[in-house]
Amino acid sequence: MQLNSDALGAWLEVQSRPDLSQTILDSRAALTLPQVKQLTARMDVLEVPEHTLRIGIVHTYTSDLLDPWLRFELALQGMNCDLYHAPYGVLLQEAQPGAGLVRHDPDLTVLLLQREDLHPYFRQPLSALGSDDQVELLQQSLENLVNLVARFREPVGGLLLVTLLPRMSGPGLGLFDSHSDRSEAVWWAQFKSRLAARLRTDVKSSLFLDLDEMLAECGRARFFDHRLWYSSAFPFAPEAARELSRRIAALGAVTKYPKIKVIALDADNTLWGGVIGEDGIHGIALGPDYPGNAYVAFQRRLLDFQQRGFVLALCSKNNPTDLDQVLDEHPHQVLRSQHFAARRVNWEPKPRNLVSLAEELNLGLSSFVFVDDSDHECAAVRHQLPQVQVVQVPRRPVDLAACLDRVARLEILSLTAEDRTKTELYAEERRRREQLAAVSSGGGDLEEYLRSLQMRMKVSFDDSTQLPRLAQLTQKTNQFNLTTRRYAERQIQDFIESHDYLVAHFSLADTFGDSGVVGLAILRRLADSIAEIDTFLMSCRVIGRRAETTFLETVLERLASEGITRVVADYLPTSKNGPASGFLAESGFERAQGGRFARSLTQSPPWFGRPAPISVEQATAEPAR
Amino acid sequence: MSTFEKLRYAIAQTLEVPPEAIAATSSAGDIAGWDSLGHVNLMISIEQTFDVQLDVEDFPKLTSVPAILEYLKSKGIA
Repeated sequence: MQLNSDALGAWLEVQSRPDLSQTILDSRAALTLPQVKQLTARMDVLEVPEHTLRIGIVHTYTSDLLDPWLRFELALQGMNCDLYHAPYGVLLQEAQPGAGLVRHDPDLTVLLLQREDLHPYFRQPLSALGSDDQVELLQQSLENLVNLVARFREPVGGLLLVTLLPRMSGPGLGLFDSHSDRSEAVWWAQFKSRLAARLRTDVKSSLFLDLDEMLAECGRARFFDHRLWYSSAFPFAPEAARELSRRIAALGAVTKYPKIKVIALDADNTLWGGVIGEDGIHGIALGPDYPGNAYVAFQRRLLDFQQRGFVLALCSKNNPTDLDQVLDEHPHQVLRSQHFAARRVNWEPKPRNLVSLAEELNLGLSSFVFVDDSDHECAAVRHQLPQVQVVQVPRRPVDLAACLDRVARLEILSLTAEDRTKTELYAEERRRREQLAAVSSGGGDLEEYLRSLQMRMKVSFDDSTQLPRLAQLTQKTNQFNLTTRRYAERQIQDFIESHDYLVAHFSLADTFGDSGVVGLAILRRLADSIAEIDTFLMSCRVIGRRAETTFLETVLERLASEGITRVVADYLPTSKNGPASGFLAESGFERAQGGRFARSLTQSPPWFGRPAPISVEQATAEPAR
Repeated sequence: MSTFEKLRYAIAQTLEVPPEAIAATSSAGDIAGWDSLGHVNLMISIEQTFDVQLDVEDFPKLTSVPAILEYLKSKGIA
C-alpha cells in the first residue's frame, strides 16, 4: 500500500532524525520516488549524519538510476552517501592506479555485473551444452570472474560486493528445466556456491551478494522493469531498486557502526503471547496453533541469529520462578536455559538491567539490540541508553518472525567456528554461577559446589596431537602461569620426544560442558631423583575450580612413579601472573636455595592423602616408532 | 490537491527544484535537472504518483507540463 499524503504530512512533522528514520523503517507502506526524495531531504535538514559511506559502483548496465534509492536507504541508516559511478561498461581500467574508482577510495565497491560478462558463451543457450561442456563453461566463468574481482582487491580498499544480475526470463527449458540434466538452475546454483568458496579463500573482504535471493523476495514481475531495461539499460523496477539499495546500505552500516553482539529479549508478549505471571504456563500463547505458532516461529528465527554469532540474553520483568517454569517445562518453548548467555529476570528498570548485562558479558552497550513489545520499555531504553538499538516487536503476531530480518546491523560479513559456539561458553559459565549461588543459598560451601559440578579431568602425557593448542597456551596465558615461558610448536615437540622431559596437558569437563585443552605442564628431569617444573600454566577459563591442584598432584604422582623424590620449581613474577603467586606455597612447596621452591615427594606425597573434588583419567600417548 | 499541484510536487521533488519554479506551461528546457536521467526518474515518479502505466513510446512525448497533463487527462485523470 502506498503512503497517502496525510501520513506523509505527519512524518514530515517529526522533529528528530532518529525518530523519523525509525518511523519510516517500521512502516510497511510503499513509497513513491517523490516521497523518497522529500524524506531524504527532510532527514538531512533535521540532522547532518556523523558517518559518510563512500560507495564506488562498477557496472555493465545503467546504475545512476539507483541513486535516489541508495541515498534514501543510507539516510535511513544515518549515513551520508558519497557516490562514484565508473563509466558505463568500464571494468579493469577502473582498477588501474589513478582511475576514478581508486581515487574515490570507496568504503564499499559494488560490482554490478551480468552473466554475459562472465563468458561470451552466455549469448547462446546454456542447455545447448552437454554436461562436460557445461562443466568447462563453469570453470572458465569462475576463473574469469574471480580474476576480475581479484584485480580490484589490490588497488581498492574496503568491502568488495560482487553481484550478478539474474536472468530476466525463466530458464531456457521452461518448466522442464529443473528435471533436465542440462538444467540452467542447477548450473547457476553450482556456479554461485563455487564462486562464494573461491571468493572466501582468494579475495579478502569480498562478499557475493546474491541477487537471486532478492529476486525471490520481490518476485520477477516486480523485480524487473522491461521498459526501463530496453529503453535505458536499467533493469530494476522501483521496488527492486529500493531493495538492492537497502541491502547495500545494511552492509555499509555493518562496516561503519559498532558490531552488534547481543540480542537482549523481553519475554511476555515477545517470546510468547500473554503474561506468564497472570496467564500461567498453560495460559500463554506458545504452541502449534495460532497465535502460539507465530511465537514458536520467532523463537526459531532467533536461533538463526544465534548462528550468525549473536548471543541471546533475557531482560524480563517477571518472577524468576515463573520464567524458569516456561524455559524448563513448557513443551513448545524453543529457547531453553542454555540458549541464553545471560539473563536479568526481576522488577528493576530495563535500562538498569541492560547496563548490568553489559557488565556481566564485558561488552559495551553499543553492541546491544533490545527487543520488547512495550511502548514504555522501548521509550525508556531509547531515552536513557541511546547507544542501544531498540526493536519494538510488531503488534501482529504474524509479523513477529521477520521483525529482526531488516535490522541492518544484524547482518554479518564473516562467520567463524567460535562465533557459533559463543553462547555455549557464556551460558556454561552462567550456569556454573547459578549453581554456586544455589549451593551457597542452601548453606553449602565451595567444596560442595565443586563436588556438585562433577568435574572430570583428562590428563594426557607426551601427546603431540594437540601441539598447536599447547604452543598457543604458552603464548597466550598470562595470569595463571608460574614462569611465562613462550614456546613454539617445534620446541614443544622436542620436549615431547626427549627422555628428559615430561609434557602434560589437561582438559576439564563438568556437568555444564567441556573446556577443551586448558592447562599445560612441562617437567624436566635434572637427576635420577630430581625434577624441575619448567612450565605450569592454566587458562583463566577454568580458574576457581581447583583444577590446578588436581593437575599438579596428578603430574607429581606420575613423577613419583618414575622414581622422582624431589621437585624444584620457580615462580617468576610478571605484571600479570599474580593469580599464581601463592600456588607453590599452598601446594606443599617450601622455600629452597636461591629463592627457588622445592617439594619432597616422600614427606609431602602426591595428594597428601586427600581425595580430589575432580575425578582424573590419564592417557599416555603411544611413543612414536 | 489538483492534478497540476500533484504533478508539480512530483516534478519538484524528483528534480530537486522549488515548486514555484514549475508553471502550468513549463517544459523540460525551462527546468534545471530535467535532463535525460531526470526524465527517466520523472517518468517513474508520474507512474507512481498517478498510478498509471506509461509505455516506452510515451516517454519522449512527455517532456512538458502541458503534455503530461494532457496525457493524464486522456487516461481519465483530470
